[in-house]
Amino acid sequence: MMVNTATRGEKIFYSINNVSLVLLAFLCVYPFLHIIATSFSSTRAIVSGEVGMLPVDFNTTAYRNLIEDGQIFRAFRNTVVVTAAGVSLNMVATIMAAYPLSKQRLTGRNFYIWFVLFTMLFNGGLIPTYLVVRALGLIDSYWSVWFLGLVSTFNLFVMKTFFQGIPQSLEDSASIDGANDIVILIRIFLPLSVPVIATLVLFYAVGHWNSYMNVLIFIPSPERQTLMVVLQRMILSVQAQLMESQAGAGAEGMLELQERLAAEAIRAAAIVIATTPIMLIYPFLQKYFVKGALIGSVKG
Amino acid sequence: MSTRSGELNTVIIDGAPVLRPRKLPLKTRLYRDRYLLMLLLPVLVFYVIFRYVPMYGLVIAFKDFRLVDGILGSQWAGLTHIERMFRSEHFFRIVRNTVLLNVYQLLFQFPAPIVLAILINEMRSKTLKRGVQSLLYVPHFISWVVMGGIIITILSPSTGIVNRILTQNFGIRPIFFLADRTWWVIVFIFSGIWKSAGWGTILYLAAITNIDPQLYEAAIIDGAGKFRQIWHITLPGLSTTIGILLILNVGGFMEVNFEQIFILQNQAVMRVADVIPTFVYRAGLLGAQFSYTTAVGFFQSIVGLILIWSTNRIIKALGGSGLF
Repeated sequence: MMVNTATRGEKIFYSINNVSLVLLAFLCVYPFLHIIATSFSSTRAIVSGEVGMLPVDFNTTAYRNLIEDGQIFRAFRNTVVVTAAGVSLNMVATIMAAYPLSKQRLTGRNFYIWFVLFTMLFNGGLIPTYLVVRALGLIDSYWSVWFLGLVSTFNLFVMKTFFQGIPQSLEDSASIDGANDIVILIRIFLPLSVPVIATLVLFYAVGHWNSYMNVLIFIPSPERQTLMVVLQRMILSVQAQLMESQAGAGAEGMLELQERLAAEAIRAAAIVIATTPIMLIYPFLQKYFVKGALIGSVKG
Repeated sequence: MSTRSGELNTVIIDGAPVLRPRKLPLKTRLYRDRYLLMLLLPVLVFYVIFRYVPMYGLVIAFKDFRLVDGILGSQWAGLTHIERMFRSEHFFRIVRNTVLLNVYQLLFQFPAPIVLAILINEMRSKTLKRGVQSLLYVPHFISWVVMGGIIITILSPSTGIVNRILTQNFGIRPIFFLADRTWWVIVFIFSGIWKSAGWGTILYLAAITNIDPQLYEAAIIDGAGKFRQIWHITLPGLSTTIGILLILNVGGFMEVNFEQIFILQNQAVMRVADVIPTFVYRAGLLGAQFSYTTAVGFFQSIVGLILIWSTNRIIKALGGSGLF
């Protein structure tokens, strides 16, 4: 209807708008495509700057080097463990807290809500938190990461808001039949909450997968570190090699350049490995996460 | 309201009798909600240990903290760390950098999703719209480590694709984007927009769908073009959402995205890129200056609390809905 009645000015507006947004969206993901292409390209192609969006001289040397090294795959395994266990703990804790807080009748409900909400406004900061984790003997244990991020207050309120939207009558009829609150939660509320649970699983999983600072700070042992920490170290070491070879551009300059650029393909390959799992689940969960992001914005 | 077992009281509200459930004695209510409390308790313990005990740990800002003595056993130091902080030139530099980077973000990064949402809303083709949105959301799910790795790769002066395009097509000498203080700030802002603008449109797009379509129809009859419709209907329709996000933004003025800065910063740009959290990490955790950096962190938290409280007040005074 709108299109038919569009004036010439509007038609021009719509076309310019479409073209610029498509261009913008393309620019937004182009760097990722460039990195994928770089990871599959030959050193020669990278040196001569031929690599754009598609691999040049397709090969998998960079990936084979990474497999030989093994470091990134150990980190990958660690990240899977941290993410899988972390998300399970997150979901159990978030549901356990969100359900009682969603009940108007709960005595002291307002106090509990403020108790939780206040931590979004004020916090002890890095050093005191570090000292608490240290005093509990959790340094170098994944429990430090799992405990520190056990409940995201934001996600807790997403869950609580969703529970509040489930009709009271369902609960009433179950409680007349003699079901207690825990049974009602498991049998009635959880099956109705699948969409929001899927969203929160995604949010928490992405958070664990991408987590960098917490692992860097609390997990000093290299063999326990996760993908992002290992990846960052690789990026920095390529960076350092680059500085050195620029400073000492002398006799072996060319050889160094070769090595350095091989490192560049390896860095790109490592980035691809670290990002692939998220990109694989992204299309499946896309229909959920927009809704989740919106529930969280509703006050109450 | 529950009306079980006929426990009703007659209460007078606004001069009229109203039936209300009688408030049960505390003990009865606690017993009735025992399962709810059992569920809630472990999570409250989590909040106490990992959120509130660290707040108590802020007292080491007023002590000479030593690891061997612990938080309780360390000697009191009064205000020496606070005094040192306010006399330190470096402290003012990191506060200035923190505030400046936030001001830049407010000016450039904050409006980006608003503009983007309005433009996306004006797309007629549903398929195209969905495709564009899917692509724009992607960076939100990518970690700063990966984003940083990509930024370093494409901006590299010797092999990066950006410098290659500049050199080959425009004859510009390679720019050291991440080692030059001005360029670094620009890269910082752009990377922030790249990562967050698409995702940020979700709230605004939802707010736009709540705008009454009749307003647009009336505007069209009055002869308003696209830009006037956007200016007089869409933007005012977004004002509540903008207001709430503005509070959150200003409230977070003393914070910066730790990972973003930490990953993009390097020795050459520390004069503009060293901010409170990165300083606390470096001097506190790596340099073991626990008490001093806790004082700095305390300052940050207090100012942050005051900021969020006062912006909320201002928004409310202006007739907005505020956060709390």
